[in-house]
Amino acid sequence: MNRAFGKHITATALIAVAFWTAACGGSTPTPSANTDKGPIQVWTMEDSTSFTALMQDFTRQTGIPVQVEAVPWSNVNDKLTTAVASGNGPDLMQVGLSLLPSFESAGALLDLSPYVKDHPGLQSSSYVGAVAADKINPSGKVLSVPWVSDVRVLFYRTDILNAAGISSPPTTWTQFHDDAAKLAQRGKGKYGYYIPQWDSALPVEFTWEAGGNLMQNGKVTFDTPQFKAAADFYISFYKDKLVPTASDFDQTQGFISGSAPMIISGPYLAAGIKSTAPQLDGKWNVAVLPKDQAGTSLFAGSNMGVWAKSKHVGASLRLLDYLAQTNAQLNWFKSTNELPTAKAALADSTLTSDPMVKIYTNQLQDAQLLPLVPKWDKISQAMLDSLNSIVLKGSDEATTLASLNATVASLQS
Amino acid sequence: MPAPARTNREALMTASAAQHEAAARRVALRVPWRSSTLVPYVLISPALLCLLTFSVLSIFVAAAVSLTNLDISGLADYTQVHFIGLHNYQAMFGDPAFWEALGNTAFFVTVGVPTLVIGSLAIAIALNFSRSRFFRALKAFYFVPAITAIVAISLIWGNLYNSQFGLLNWLLSLVGIAPVQWLTDPTIAKLSVALVAIWRGSGLDIIIFLAALQAIPPEYYEAAAVDGAGEWQKIFRITVPLMRFAIFFVTVTTLINWMQFFDEPYVLTQGGPVHATTSMSLYIYQQGFRYNEFGFASAASIVLFAIIAAVTVIQLRARQDVDG
Repeated sequence: MNRAFGKHITATALIAVAFWTAACGGSTPTPSANTDKGPIQVWTMEDSTSFTALMQDFTRQTGIPVQVEAVPWSNVNDKLTTAVASGNGPDLMQVGLSLLPSFESAGALLDLSPYVKDHPGLQSSSYVGAVAADKINPSGKVLSVPWVSDVRVLFYRTDILNAAGISSPPTTWTQFHDDAAKLAQRGKGKYGYYIPQWDSALPVEFTWEAGGNLMQNGKVTFDTPQFKAAADFYISFYKDKLVPTASDFDQTQGFISGSAPMIISGPYLAAGIKSTAPQLDGKWNVAVLPKDQAGTSLFAGSNMGVWAKSKHVGASLRLLDYLAQTNAQLNWFKSTNELPTAKAALADSTLTSDPMVKIYTNQLQDAQLLPLVPKWDKISQAMLDSLNSIVLKGSDEATTLASLNATVASLQS
Repeated sequence: MPAPARTNREALMTASAAQHEAAARRVALRVPWRSSTLVPYVLISPALLCLLTFSVLSIFVAAAVSLTNLDISGLADYTQVHFIGLHNYQAMFGDPAFWEALGNTAFFVTVGVPTLVIGSLAIAIALNFSRSRFFRALKAFYFVPAITAIVAISLIWGNLYNSQFGLLNWLLSLVGIAPVQWLTDPTIAKLSVALVAIWRGSGLDIIIFLAALQAIPPEYYEAAAVDGAGEWQKIFRITVPLMRFAIFFVTVTTLINWMQFFDEPYVLTQGGPVHATTSMSLYIYQQGFRYNEFGFASAASIVLFAIIAAVTVIQLRARQDVDG
């Protein structure tokens, strides 16, 4: 309670001081592809064990030692700010797709376009279409390279749906809503579906499914009939009491207990269910998202980028090449359940033979990135706050959405 | 230190004493007559230097930054930083979330400060009735929240409050009361968060009050007892008036703490649901360290600083008036 104010002012001041000093230093390192023996430092997200294990093989092949540091998702912005302000960063870092605009506008990533022709791992044609070079980079540059992918699909409890007389998962919005209504009738504390209140991607997915697009002339807009349809669909689950209103509802627990038998989430949820509730095996499955005009899902995941001031660009590029190889991508999937981004790995029989993974890879073909604009975090939070104030506080829909449009316009002016 | 008069005693002085005197004379020469007024300043200078560097300078830097568009790209490339006048302040006053954060802070202060000051005073007076082992254990019990890590507090209270599997709702269900949305209903969440902060803040205030209570001479109570005063009369005629300074001190510090309210909403609700528990400090934190808008966040912190400074000055004035 008593540390806050002084801390903010001090931190702001330190950052300001640091950036004056940082501005004076810095030089451009010259990469020397095969002579560079590192060591290189890598920042990965959340957990370093799996990545360290993967790196043993890389070091054996190339003789380049790799130091891995894990950065929790909740700290990544602080970490980036201090690295940018001080000029001290790693050589290679994992960048979540939603954070890409921040990293790019911070000038944290090195433009790799001069090296593309010598490095197969940098070539856009190796990766799935949603993360093609022109979709993830400002024009003419290559600031990051796809690494892992993540896609939202529908998770459902086969046992509970069957018991409610639903023989197959919903494929249209109407079926989705009707099935949720049937499931919610099971009694008190039972719902049809669960909407995470922190999830700003969900209304965007609904907009895509309604046939819409958020970007118009390089700016984000919610002033479209398709977003209105998405908002109405979102609100309808609350209005008909088909979803829990508690913001601390636990998604995994809710799915396991059967309280929320339908959930839209990524493959990481599958890993969570398998490890915490192995007894549910065979009682749940995944399906591609229900369609309105389209069945477009969210393409999430992470890229890898070279730190702008790295002194081991050559070694980092070799690591990027290594990570793009089918073997490395498949090993990574085996240890973390995170999907590959390389086409060759996605087409490998170890993945295509698993029916659940087949659903993921099918959905990957119809998945889009969130808008990669620097203000997206603020814009999407405003959108989510508006929808949640309608469903949780009973604010008027028309006026709330009108003021959202005004806010979003002023944020981008 | 004036040079000592030369007397016969000089002959008796040891060599070291002579050195002392010489040193004293040198000091006396350099600072002929002000030395006695300078010493205190020399002594407080390390603390003062820290204060100037980390508080006063920071405020000036923040004030300067608040007039710029400094964000993460400006951090990387200072040519991107521009002077934009009062634009940050205009944008902030036009932001409904800012007013909501200000309103929430006012709510937290109104609920938290009186409860904490009156509650802590009452508990301290009750604890002071006895010095038995049981009461000493109680004192420790009340102080534990103050020294418990905020992360542990958030984990425990988060689980107590949880609407799916929380202990509080389970206890309520035993007596047939419907579950309460402790942290997820916009109004109840405010109170739940404030309750944790009151629980956590009470330990320190109780200790301060206890110290003040123990400084009251027992003769006053004995004299009052001889005059036939009851327990309530003793509390309201002797204890409370003699604790005036302690009460004032606790009120000022508690008020400042609550205007900077941050930890509990940050760890329990992250300011949600829908901004319902976003305090001013949390608003500043989100603008600065989530959206990387350092200029905007600095503007907001200057506004909060001005409010706290104004409230504190008013309190100090009020006390001067009372004391005459």
